[in-house]
Amino acid sequence: MFNLRDISIKNKLILMQVFTSLLVLSIVFGVFIFTDINSYKQRKVESMISLAQVIGTNSISTLQFDDPDAAMEMLQDLHNVSPEIIRATIFNNKGEIFAQYSKPGLDSFRIKDVLKQRKFLFSGDELFVSSAITNNNEVIGKVYLDVELSELQQTKAYKLELAAVLLIIALLFSFLVALGVQTYISRRLLKLVSTMKNVSETGDYAEPLGDDGKDEIAILIQVFNKLMQQIKENQQKKDEFIGIASHELKTPLTTIKGYIEMLNMMEQEPTKKQFVEKAMLNVNKLERLIRDLLDVSKIQSGQLRLEMKEFNMNELLTETVNAVQMVSAPRIIREDKLKNEIIYGDRQRIEQVLLNLLSNAVKYSPGENKVIIDSEKTDKDLLIKIRDFGIGVTKDEQMHIFERFYRSKDTSVHFSGFGLGLYICRDIITRHCGKIWVEKADPGSIFIFSLPLKHSFKTQQTEA
Amino acid sequence: MNKILVVDDDIDILSLVKIMLTMNHFDVEAISRWEEIDTRLHDFKPDLVLLDVSLGDADGRDICKQMRTAKETSAIPVILFSANAEMGKYIDDCRAQAFIPKPFELSYLINTIKTYLN
Repeated sequence: MFNLRDISIKNKLILMQVFTSLLVLSIVFGVFIFTDINSYKQRKVESMISLAQVIGTNSISTLQFDDPDAAMEMLQDLHNVSPEIIRATIFNNKGEIFAQYSKPGLDSFRIKDVLKQRKFLFSGDELFVSSAITNNNEVIGKVYLDVELSELQQTKAYKLELAAVLLIIALLFSFLVALGVQTYISRRLLKLVSTMKNVSETGDYAEPLGDDGKDEIAILIQVFNKLMQQIKENQQKKDEFIGIASHELKTPLTTIKGYIEMLNMMEQEPTKKQFVEKAMLNVNKLERLIRDLLDVSKIQSGQLRLEMKEFNMNELLTETVNAVQMVSAPRIIREDKLKNEIIYGDRQRIEQVLLNLLSNAVKYSPGENKVIIDSEKTDKDLLIKIRDFGIGVTKDEQMHIFERFYRSKDTSVHFSGFGLGLYICRDIITRHCGKIWVEKADPGSIFIFSLPLKHSFKTQQTEA
Repeated sequence: MNKILVVDDDIDILSLVKIMLTMNHFDVEAISRWEEIDTRLHDFKPDLVLLDVSLGDADGRDICKQMRTAKETSAIPVILFSANAEMGKYIDDCRAQAFIPKPFELSYLINTIKTYLN
């Protein structure tokens, strides 16, 4: 159903102005036409009553001498005097028809009963007029006229047509004016809306919006700016806090990790050694969580800096795969055709991406499922594909999986973590002018990231 | 036996590193106050210094820089460590031999020390 709320503010403003114009003009034209027609009728009545009186005065002698022929003759002349009179009748004082005239082709006699009390009556397209014939204050007869108002109909139609044409022209002007004027209001609002949208999508609190007005929209913009400023400050405080907190967390963690490591080296008894190893695994997990948290706060505050160097992708992949194989069952299979592709980037950060994707792949395909690494090379880019055979990623999840704090809704597979890993991966890859995405495979999913090869990195960076 | 001077304002880390290095047959001197570094360098004559970057009101990188300018200490290898992994990117101008982010694997620490002792 048509809903006023669904229309944009721009169209609403135009609609409002056009509608107001329509309403005002309709009232004005209506009153104008009404008074015009009324005054025409008034004039007609007056002139017809005078005519009837003239006829009455002229027929006094014919009534006194009872000469209906002379009266008839006089009535016939009406055709020349006023062709709009279609019927005329003279009654004598007994109420009998004394003389009558009617336009050829019309039935002769028609009198409205009400005319006995009134002097005139409008009925349809006709005007009925009556006038008493008096001689020395004595009523000796009555004249009735029946007038056709074809002229009135024409005037009415003409006025309405004119009004309609004027109305359309006026509305057109009103529309054009509204179109021009609405931008003054809507432009500022639309700018605010687009900034708000932008902020909510990117989380980037840009410069405050400038507006030098003093109206409600200006207040809205000021309040928005104030809110953004507060959010920005809170964000900064939060980043600072996370920075300090993760530093403080790392210090005792170093000690715990060190002692557990020493215990692990010293302990020979299998059960105890197993416990120590479990503790070790969890310390490492804790360490990763702290690192992710710190990375995200750096990304958010724009403090994440890359240390760009040339490195061999094949070497890095081999190292990373070995590291992951050490802690998980050895089921990562390399099907890539990497030779000695050189990438210009932050080796440590790319390693972080690889570690993240590989450990995710291992984590999300439990059991004996394998993980396959593949590669593809184009003129400019190197693509690394990591295929798992897990539960897969739904179409809806594919859109959000790289967002901050996103976690798989599939409750049957519950893994711990903040849901920051892929967000960090995307940020790192994007900063390298690359892309990262996920595709559905059957079964499982393929995580793919592209990095520009060394020779094309600089050109891509300048384009970006 | 190689002599190693460890400087860290966190007592727990300090004793952990001391125990670990002693177990690995190093002669270790561990101090938590950076003000003592000068005297220890002079008395103990370490073969290597393991130095924390954030030492309360002092910066390990500045201490390292100073060591490089003094004739007596300019040749001693310095390994910096810090809980702030980003620090590793800003050690070039103080000419430290290596940087180890915290938390570290003890084996990695030992290997790094051995690398710069030879």
